[in-house]
Amino acid sequence: MSKIENEKQEVDATQEESPLETPCMSRRKLLMTGGKMGGVAAISMLLPGTMFPGKAAAGQGMVSAAVAARTVRYPRTKVGKLSALKTDRPVKIQYPGNAEGQKGLLIKLGEKAMGGVGPKQDVVAFSAFCTHQGGPLEDQYNPKEKSLGPCEFHLSKFDLQKHGIMITASAVQNLPQIVLEVEGDDIYAVGVLGLIYGYQDNLQGV
Amino acid sequence: MSNAGSNVTFSIDLPKDRVPVPPADAEIVPTACDYCIVGCAYRAITWPVGKEGGPKASENAFKVDYPRTESLVGSWPSPNQHTIVLKNGEPHNCIVTPAISERVNRSGNHSVRGGGIAQKCYSPWRATRDRLQTPLLRVRNVLQPISWDDATTIAAEVGRYVFDKYGEMAYGVKAYSYQFYENTYAITKLALQSIETPVYAHHDKPSAQDDASGLEDMGIDTFGPSYDDWSASDVIFISGTDPYETKTVLFTEHIMEGRPKLVMVLPRKSPGVTWAEENDGLWLQVNVGTDAILHNAMCRYIIEKGWQDQHHIDHWAASSEEIDWGMGRGTRNTPWQWRSTRWGTNFKKWTKWLLKEKYAEMDVAVKMTGIPRENIINACKMLTGAGKKKRPKASFMLEKGNYWSNNYLNTISFGNLAIICGAGTRDGQVIGRAGGHQRGGVNAAGYPRSKTPERFGKIGRKALNVDNWVRSGHVRFMYVIGTNWIEAMQGSQDLGDYIKDHTTGSKHQVQKFDVEHVIQTLKARADAGDMVLINNEIYLRTIGNQYADLVMPAATWGEETFTRAQGERQLRIYSKFYDPPGDAKPDWWIIQQIAKKMGFDGYDWKTSEDVFKELARFTRNSRQDLAPLVKWAALNGKSPYDVLRKRAATGYQLPLRLHDNKLIETKRLHNPHVHIESGQGITVKLKRAGSFTKPSGKLILHKVDWNLFGDFYEAIKPKPEKKELWVTCGRNNEIWQSVFDDMRKPYIMQRHPMNFIEMNPKDAADRGIGNGDLVALENDEVFVQVGGFYRARHKDFLFTNLKKDGYIKTTQGSASAMVYVTSVVPPGTTFMYFNWPGGGASNSLSSAVADPLTNAPRYKLGKAAIRKIGTLPDYLKKRMTFKEKV
Repeated sequence: MSKIENEKQEVDATQEESPLETPCMSRRKLLMTGGKMGGVAAISMLLPGTMFPGKAAAGQGMVSAAVAARTVRYPRTKVGKLSALKTDRPVKIQYPGNAEGQKGLLIKLGEKAMGGVGPKQDVVAFSAFCTHQGGPLEDQYNPKEKSLGPCEFHLSKFDLQKHGIMITASAVQNLPQIVLEVEGDDIYAVGVLGLIYGYQDNLQGV
Repeated sequence: MSNAGSNVTFSIDLPKDRVPVPPADAEIVPTACDYCIVGCAYRAITWPVGKEGGPKASENAFKVDYPRTESLVGSWPSPNQHTIVLKNGEPHNCIVTPAISERVNRSGNHSVRGGGIAQKCYSPWRATRDRLQTPLLRVRNVLQPISWDDATTIAAEVGRYVFDKYGEMAYGVKAYSYQFYENTYAITKLALQSIETPVYAHHDKPSAQDDASGLEDMGIDTFGPSYDDWSASDVIFISGTDPYETKTVLFTEHIMEGRPKLVMVLPRKSPGVTWAEENDGLWLQVNVGTDAILHNAMCRYIIEKGWQDQHHIDHWAASSEEIDWGMGRGTRNTPWQWRSTRWGTNFKKWTKWLLKEKYAEMDVAVKMTGIPRENIINACKMLTGAGKKKRPKASFMLEKGNYWSNNYLNTISFGNLAIICGAGTRDGQVIGRAGGHQRGGVNAAGYPRSKTPERFGKIGRKALNVDNWVRSGHVRFMYVIGTNWIEAMQGSQDLGDYIKDHTTGSKHQVQKFDVEHVIQTLKARADAGDMVLINNEIYLRTIGNQYADLVMPAATWGEETFTRAQGERQLRIYSKFYDPPGDAKPDWWIIQQIAKKMGFDGYDWKTSEDVFKELARFTRNSRQDLAPLVKWAALNGKSPYDVLRKRAATGYQLPLRLHDNKLIETKRLHNPHVHIESGQGITVKLKRAGSFTKPSGKLILHKVDWNLFGDFYEAIKPKPEKKELWVTCGRNNEIWQSVFDDMRKPYIMQRHPMNFIEMNPKDAADRGIGNGDLVALENDEVFVQVGGFYRARHKDFLFTNLKKDGYIKTTQGSASAMVYVTSVVPPGTTFMYFNWPGGGASNSLSSAVADPLTNAPRYKLGKAAIRKIGTLPDYLKKRMTFKEKV
């Protein structure tokens, strides 16, 4: 990690619980800039520390480690091919592991999305379980809205073009977005933004 | 984030991919949610920073294996349910997560509000770090720390001076009604028992009056139903609320489970409406403010068809003689007495009135309410079974969309409809409020109504309109406790102007810390006819930040142990589980210090539990009678708080009775089959447990005179020539009350970074407005009533006559908001969140002219001309969702 990168990060140490992982520049930069690197598009969710009110204290450098951890810790798993995806036809994937609870949906929305990959930046992947009480969302894709939900349990609904933010929800977390990379025609899952329902750590059992 | 006056709190949630689990020895404290009326059971779990439990059941405090991927089982903390707090001065991890309650949230269910309540907790490392920590004194217009001793001395000396010299009518108290029994008891002990001032009003209205006044007049306790009653109904008529958005677990658990058909009366579509329509229900999209006419027309149609529940009416509707019971030959000057004397009537006379009433005609109703005739008729059929042998079990639920637009007429007409449809006393056939906040009010004394000059006609007494009384220049000392007084009230900007001119605008300003100087300066302020303002709060809000002379930091939920009941009268304990910020103290303690220094007796509590034991007897003979619990605890040598802790998740359903050393709960009020044991000392044979509340025990039908409202309604309607639109307002799923916690929760603020206004695509296009644009809302005709407390004749209270006689001034209101372009609102009507502080205050756009019959506010009837002034920053807008909830 460069000195400059380190100095930019001013953050609250207590917000992060996984400071031990080794930072990885490329993934970290990927997350922080949201830019395209070598033809790879990915998540632009994260903002500079100044966007978060009052993070001026303590914990220099902690966030960079933790942010990097979001992808560094994760396996790089091929989850599909761009050429095989049809618009509005979700495909079930497994990530980061093969457990039932780690089921996700890979969807070509047909419209540009935050964190979308592919030529139109419209290919996204999300956990298939509601972050409220674990309701199954795999059959709840709404192609008109590009949303997932309403959950049959308690009506939560998430916007797949906006990092899985709640449209309406009892859930207190965005629907976890699976970070994607593209290499040629191949789509790789490389990380997860947010905690998958029921998990204490996304990589449990992986 | 000390943006007390700001309308804007931009932030974005940082997603986390793991959450620490509590070790097996973490401390688990039972509590309940601090937010909406449902009051789900919660657990607060704390353990020192640096330790962590493991994923195996034996390694963590939840005693479950992770991952825990079965649905609907609770015990999965999401990262927003975790924070870091101080406990005994040391940093501790803290997880606040739903418990599994036998009654309320049975599967660990929660709303988006309560689910993230951990982020409410004071944390020096998080956005809650701007909690108030020490008393503050305004010295040379800067708030600066002082000691508790000095703060309470100043508050007491100046308050006592005003009370002695100018009397109780010059000493006002504006306070929350619900932030726990112990505190409301202490507040009312000072205000109503020691000072005996009628200048007292709750956080949500200018007067100490009933909310659903008409229902109370008819004999209905509005919190009589149990949640099982809503589940057991075949059909529920829901007026002026979407329980999904506002009491979510009542909806997602109890209503969705019972699957009653819902007839929802709302001007705007929301997710509960969608669910209703998809489950054989019906949406009556009513024009703002016209509910009474809808109810009248439904009553008339049902009576004309003969679909009413005649057996129920014959048994429960009061005769003329029964209406007079309990009134004797007296003056009939309490509110229900004078109102029922004038408008209460027996079924025969009521029918005669109804069938002749113009504002009950179907054609008039279709035109004024905007609801298609077939929908009104369908609703009548659904509620009555349309003459079929088997009548559906119909229940009736209302909230603020109903009673805060046209209070008296909407509530009595709603009650009439409920009564003729057979509701009121039976399982699944109930009438009640859905509720907003929880029920945490206990009055230490009655409200001194006889002291107010408010009269409707010669005899009809009303509670004093505190805002009007203040604006009229009668108040020299004002104590504001836990409420955003200015933005929470109508005509906000005019009220704010008065407060500013008479506090920081007074020439008598504190120049130095010397206590004697402070006291003399503030006494001189009061003598000059200006106002001394003191404020208990948890954050600096507009009142404290801009105008108060003294701000005193309060310890709240989780920081002290308190008690309260929720929407079906379940009494629970809200336990302390971490340190309050700095020197913050519970409100009862602050009041106690001031009262003692004012020379009042009886403020000798050492703990919250001492207050609880004392207040118990003031709950007797009410729906929240908990005196038997305290008695039972005493008889059995237990602490009442311990008794409550043992049943923390379940609670005790009030009112309680004590029989054979057993506590007996009350599931539903107005239940004629209830058997109340006699011969026990503490137990009150509560009338409303077995019948209705009025002396006859019957229900009183009322005539509905639209003319009491009609001229005001015409005066405040949006004017097409000014391109004005209705600006109605209400609650929203994601936000609680005045946003005081939510503006410190990035997860919530990324969804709604500032107050929003929903506009129909047509209205937006006409004004060149798109999603995420910023708009100015302006109403150049905000009417404010000043004076006119006493008028000799009834008709003098009509808006037209108040205006003619010079009691109405015309002021201006403005607000700002970001736009959601959406067809959930019809053309001509917009919707804002109801209690956003600062520039987002929707109440600045509606007229501060209370319902003359009840002094209730009319928050829902705002209007404004709207124009674009900018747009949200792009980084934010591109991450926000503009998709419709419905």
